[in-house]
Amino acid sequence: MTALGVSGLVCGYGEKTILQGISFEIKLGEFVGIVGANGCGKTTLLRALSGIIKIKSGEISVYGKNLKELSRRDIAREVALVPQLMEPVEGITVLDLVLLGRTPYLERFDFVNQDDVDIAKWAIGEVGIEEIADKKLSELSGGEFQRAVIARALAQEPHLMLLDEPISHLDIRYQMKILKILRKLRYQRTIVSTFHDLNMASRFCQRLILMKKGEIVAFGRPDEVLTKENIWKAYRVKAEVRKNPKTKHARMVLLP
Amino acid sequence: MKRKAYYLILSLIVVSIALLFVGSVWLSPGETVKSPILWQIRLPRVLLSALVGVMLATSGVMLQGILKNPLADPYILGVSSGAGVGAAIAIAANYSFVFLGMSSVPLFAFVFALIMVLTVYNLSKAADRTTPETLILAGVAVSAFASAVLALIIIMSGQLQSIYFWLLGSFSAAGYRDVFTVLPYAVVGLLIAYFYSKELNALLLGEEIAYTLGVEVERIRVIMIVAATLMTAAAVSVSGLIGFVGLIVPHFVRMIIGPNYRSLVVFSALSGALLMMIADAVARTALSPVELPVGIVMSLIGAPFFIWVLRTRRGG
Repeated sequence: MTALGVSGLVCGYGEKTILQGISFEIKLGEFVGIVGANGCGKTTLLRALSGIIKIKSGEISVYGKNLKELSRRDIAREVALVPQLMEPVEGITVLDLVLLGRTPYLERFDFVNQDDVDIAKWAIGEVGIEEIADKKLSELSGGEFQRAVIARALAQEPHLMLLDEPISHLDIRYQMKILKILRKLRYQRTIVSTFHDLNMASRFCQRLILMKKGEIVAFGRPDEVLTKENIWKAYRVKAEVRKNPKTKHARMVLLP
Repeated sequence: MKRKAYYLILSLIVVSIALLFVGSVWLSPGETVKSPILWQIRLPRVLLSALVGVMLATSGVMLQGILKNPLADPYILGVSSGAGVGAAIAIAANYSFVFLGMSSVPLFAFVFALIMVLTVYNLSKAADRTTPETLILAGVAVSAFASAVLALIIIMSGQLQSIYFWLLGSFSAAGYRDVFTVLPYAVVGLLIAYFYSKELNALLLGEEIAYTLGVEVERIRVIMIVAATLMTAAAVSVSGLIGFVGLIVPHFVRMIIGPNYRSLVVFSALSGALLMMIADAVARTALSPVELPVGIVMSLIGAPFFIWVLRTRRGG
């Protein structure tokens, strides 16, 4: 089943067009990585998929529903976004943060009830931070905070979860931890995430989208996408692609 | 949290009853209860000051929430001075009519306050977001302009003393009519703040995330600005310019109970009422028999607090 269908997507900011007609399809349960050089339109694509920016032409459908025809609240129940940079809000706990993920389910005169608390606690459990649920955000380490932010998105119970460079500011231990969580989370939903680290993306994603200047250069399995030619095309960097001797994943090595 | 709310409500009731026995004329409790001073002068005055406190504090909470800025308050954003200009025009010109249930003074106060806040908000937009600095600068600039216009109106109207004293903020003329005039604004405004507290909470995560949580950010912003402006204008029209309540009350409450807007709205409203009643009691007794304008009392407390906020913000 197609979880996310994008066809002929054109969008940008004001007069400026960033994405120049993008099309791809992602199946239920896939973990897809979006890679490409700075400014290639990765973040813009996520912002379009989450409905933050209006699209100029083309279509986005999530589980068969056209994004254009959904209200803001309905989109929020389908799609959750974990932004690249989030300031920890002062004075609130992890549980408070995750409960905010229930916002799209609350009616005008409603406030969070026990169900919402249960779902928030489930989300906290999914990312493995039960023991710090009552800690203040300002007391968390980078890796803990990132997991709390992911739990907040999970509490939205989205079919599609979008993440913008979720590991780029973490140490390798937490990079692995976050990626393992995402790999596990993909089973009941679809995950699309941007990455800078090609080797990490190659190792954990089923498929990769390689972008350049608002267009897709290659889309497919990591070993199909990460070729010498594609990397040169997208990044203007000379590289060689080998296999990770243990995991057999495609691994890029930079050449002088 | 619930217990804290009960304590606050309890102290509100105790203080408001106690204040009925405080005033320039000292009467024993037995005499007071029978005296028209209590029922015709002190009670409406205590009620009005409480309502004004509720409205100013709630507007502060709303504006701080949508602007994600702890320095936003009706006074600094120029809402109050705009309302002042409007009210002064209505008083000076001696207009007296009723339009859509609003008498001329609050109506003028509201229209001018709205013009003012929209001007400040648009001026403060650097790129597509407001920063504390541009907001304060725009507020100061536009307020200065409004003060000049106000001075002009006062001079030309020849009613220097009455308008000027009114502008300093006072409940000395409070009557039941004023109480009933502002009551609907206070109630509706407070309910709006309370039931939109989910959206204000989502906005804690930034506009973009609030958006992905299904919050119609632009619509909420308009609702909050209009509601806050209405409440401030109503407050200004019965009590003149009283600054800093909308700034210090939500800020102080946030430090104690945290940033959850659902409780923040309730606690700020109650604390605003409490603070305003006490400030008014100070105003009418400190230099008794001379009565101080309550706006002066508030500014004497508020300005140092504001400076302290700026300093701790830089440190933290």
